[in-house]
Order: sequence, then structure tokens, then C-alpha cells
Amino acid sequence: MIRFEDVSKHYDNHTALRKVSFSVEKGEMAFITGPSGSGKSTLLKLIYLSERADEGSVFVSGWEINSMRDFDIPVLRRKIGVVYQEFRLLSNMSVFENVAIALRIRGVDEREVKARVFDSLKIVNLRHKSDNYPHALSGGEQQRIAIARAIVAEPIIILADEPTGNVDPDTSAGIIRTFKEINARGATILIATHNRELFRETGKRILKLDFGNFVGEGIG
Amino acid sequence: MSLPYSFRVAISSLLHEKWINFLSMLTMAIGLLFTAITLLTVYNIDLMTKKLPEKFSIMLYLKDSLAREEIDTLIEGIIQDPTVDRVLFIPKDEAFRELKATLRNTEYILDGLGENPLPNSIEIKLKARLLGPESVKKLTAKLKGQEGISEIEYGEKFLASLHSVRKGMNTIGLVFLIVLSAGMIFICYSTVKILFYRKDEEIKTYKLLGATKGFIRTPFLIEGAVIGTGGGLISFIAIISFYYTFIFNLSQTFPLLNSMHFPLELFLALPAAGLLIGIAGAIIAIGRIRY
Repeated sequence: MIRFEDVSKHYDNHTALRKVSFSVEKGEMAFITGPSGSGKSTLLKLIYLSERADEGSVFVSGWEINSMRDFDIPVLRRKIGVVYQEFRLLSNMSVFENVAIALRIRGVDEREVKARVFDSLKIVNLRHKSDNYPHALSGGEQQRIAIARAIVAEPIIILADEPTGNVDPDTSAGIIRTFKEINARGATILIATHNRELFRETGKRILKLDFGNFVGEGIG
Repeated sequence: MSLPYSFRVAISSLLHEKWINFLSMLTMAIGLLFTAITLLTVYNIDLMTKKLPEKFSIMLYLKDSLAREEIDTLIEGIIQDPTVDRVLFIPKDEAFRELKATLRNTEYILDGLGENPLPNSIEIKLKARLLGPESVKKLTAKLKGQEGISEIEYGEKFLASLHSVRKGMNTIGLVFLIVLSAGMIFICYSTVKILFYRKDEEIKTYKLLGATKGFIRTPFLIEGAVIGTGGGLISFIAIISFYYTFIFNLSQTFPLLNSMHFPLELFLALPAAGLLIGIAGAIIAIGRIRY
């Protein structure tokens, strides 16, 4: 489902990724781990084409996306649900609207939107906060809204960048449980985290990055 | 992409930034009002100058030696010219009668003349749409070479100045229209650009979530269209109010203003013009969207 072949990404004064190769199979749930600055976020950005690799090839669902035309990028992004590190919730929209936007962008019928948003909010236990605005929610709640938005359209791939960065251990465990449930329905999930507790005893594959180098893999 | 959703987003954004949008709408309305006043002026001057040529004619004064058959041949030749609308032969006796009628109480002046001193003449009326200094010059040059014509008379200077007034007014009108339209497009451009900058983060998020360019652009285009149409409607109301409260009332005191025409159908296009200007401004403001 996701394959990196000798991928490198350079910025002005440093190299974020150096000849990284790995693959994540369809329906798999995997973690990318490594210390801050190891290239985890950059790696995810190359998958949803927020950045383009300088060298190598990135394959998503069979497409080589690094040379993808601008015109096709929305099509790729609509196949992927992303939980951003900074959440990227829209402050002028209610929780309901924030989640619904992912469906509206995909042209889902308005009659279907309501039911699907509430289903998604139910999964993250925030059904009762649908009328609230993001600023009225805690960091953990905002993170769960971001997850609800990422899963609502049932994308084939879900990417999560430090999805438990702002939450307590109990909420973290709940979020991982949610991802496992979504994974069980068939979605491919790739989670970037520096928090080892998150993948301990999950039985899922761990891909390790250090200073932009792929340094091996293991099982959580 | 759901159009009702785009409308909802646009309306909510317009209400959220209601003051800046209302000011843009007013500025647009003022611009369109000035355009409408310019059009009203140009339209009326054009109408007036179009009516004046109806009185314009070329007079050919004929030599007394010319026989009636020769005059008929001459008239037939003139009427063949594509610029000529109608030709009228005025016999010298009729011209003399007319002169007498014109002089009325002072016709005794003519008594001393004895014989009728006036020549036979031909009055030529040109087709209004072909009337211009060039066409008149061309026709008179052709006639000058004809046998039997002693003199050709027409208001050369009048025609030239009439023509240049029309041309000048049309040019001024066009320049005004272009300058004001550009100004109004700039107003809409600035408004949408401000909205676009304020929504920079929102747009980035839309792009990351997979929104198409159309999905992102449509609410801004609707906002531009609403501002433009709103401005157009206000200017339409303003020009009607201007006409009825100002020109209509003044025409009671200045009868000259009575002959002024108010082309309502032309001003009904103001909201549509505002709509187009608003959309144009929005398109320029959004520019190219890159992922």
C-alpha cells in the first residue's frame, strides 16, 4: 500500500531523510518511531504530498506519487485521512462542521453527512460535543476531533503524526484502541510517534528512524 | 462539490466580515453610479448629435441654362450614390415664393429686383448612418465635376464639429468606462484578497484534506459576485433617485432638460455589470492555487 524506495529529502541546512526504503502492506497498522527531528513527520508529509522527495520513489496504492501532477493531488489526498500534529481544526467551525468538511470535500450527499459525522464522533466519544467550537475543547478532545475527521470518510490509508502528543496515558490508550478498531475494518494505518509506550505490546510493526536514516524495524 | 454548501460558506463569511464587505459594496456602488452618470451624459449627447443631421442637407445651385431633361438626368445620377437618402428639386419660382414668405412684411425689398434672381436648386439629404465629413466631401467632390452646377453649399464646419463632438464624447465615455471598471475590479480584488489572506490557514487545511481548486474558489467567487451585484443594485437605485429627484425636478425650471432621455433598460444592466466586475475581481484575487 505504501512503499519508499531510496527516498531522500533535503532542506537548506540539513537532510531530513537519507535513502529510506520500507513498505507497509495493505490493511497493516505500523508505527514509525524515533527521537524528535528524526524525520518522522517529513516521511508522512511525503505520503500525502505536502512535500516532495528530492530523490527516490514513493508509491501509494500503486501510484508513484513523487512525480504526480498538481491536478491529481486532491485525488490522492482524498484517499488518505491524516491526523496532523497541530490538529489543523478550523476555529470558525463547530466540531460537527470540522468533521463534516472531510465529507463535503469528497462530495458526499448532505443527507448522508449528518449520520456519518455522528458515527465518527461516537467512535472518539465526542458525540455530545458536536456543537462546540475547537477553542472550547481540551487538547485531547481536539486531537480526537482530528481523528474523527481523518476516519469519517473511511479512507484506505490513515496517517497520524504524534496523535497522542497532547493527551494523558488513558486517553492515549483509548486513541490507540480506536486506531486498532479502524484497522480491523481494513484501513492501512501508519502512526508516527516518539512515545514508546504507545506501541508497546500492540503486536504491530515498528519502523525506526534516526537522524533521517532508516535504522531497522521490530514488533511492538 | 456541493453548491449549496459553497453558498452557505460564502454567506457566513460575508456576514462575518460584514463591515469590510459593506464598504466594498458601497465603493462599488459609487463607481457604478459615476459610470451610469457618464453613460447617461454620453447617451444623451449622442442622441442629440444623431438628431441634428436630420436638418443637414447639401444644396446644389444650378445654372439657368440647364434644361429640365438634363436636371432629371442629374438627379438620377445623384440618387444612385449609396450615401444619398433622398433628392428634392426646388424650382427657382418656388424658391422665390419661399423667400417672399420668409420675408413676410419686408417683401418689398424684393420688388426692386424685377426678375427672380434665384437659381433652380437641388436639395440632397444623406442617409443618417452614412453621414460624416468624409462621405460628404467625397460626394461633393464628385458633384463638382458635373456640368450645370454653379455652386455647392453645405455646412462643412458644422458637420466637422458635430462629428468631432460625437467622437470626443464617445472616447471620453469609453475612457471613463475603462478607468472606472478597472477601479471597481480593483476594489473587488482587494476585498477578496483580504478575505483570502485572512483565510490562509483555512485554505491550507482544505488543500491538505483533498479539496479541489473549485471547492476552494467557489465561495470566494460567490462573495465577489454578491459584493458586485449588491453594489450594482445600490447604484441602480441611486441613478433612478438621481434622475427623478434631480433632473426631473430641475426640468421644471430648465425646459432644456425635458428633452433628456433616461434609458432605463441600459441601467437595468447595472447589477449584472456589478456581478461580472465582482467575479472578475475575485478571480484575479484568488489567482492560481498551488498544492
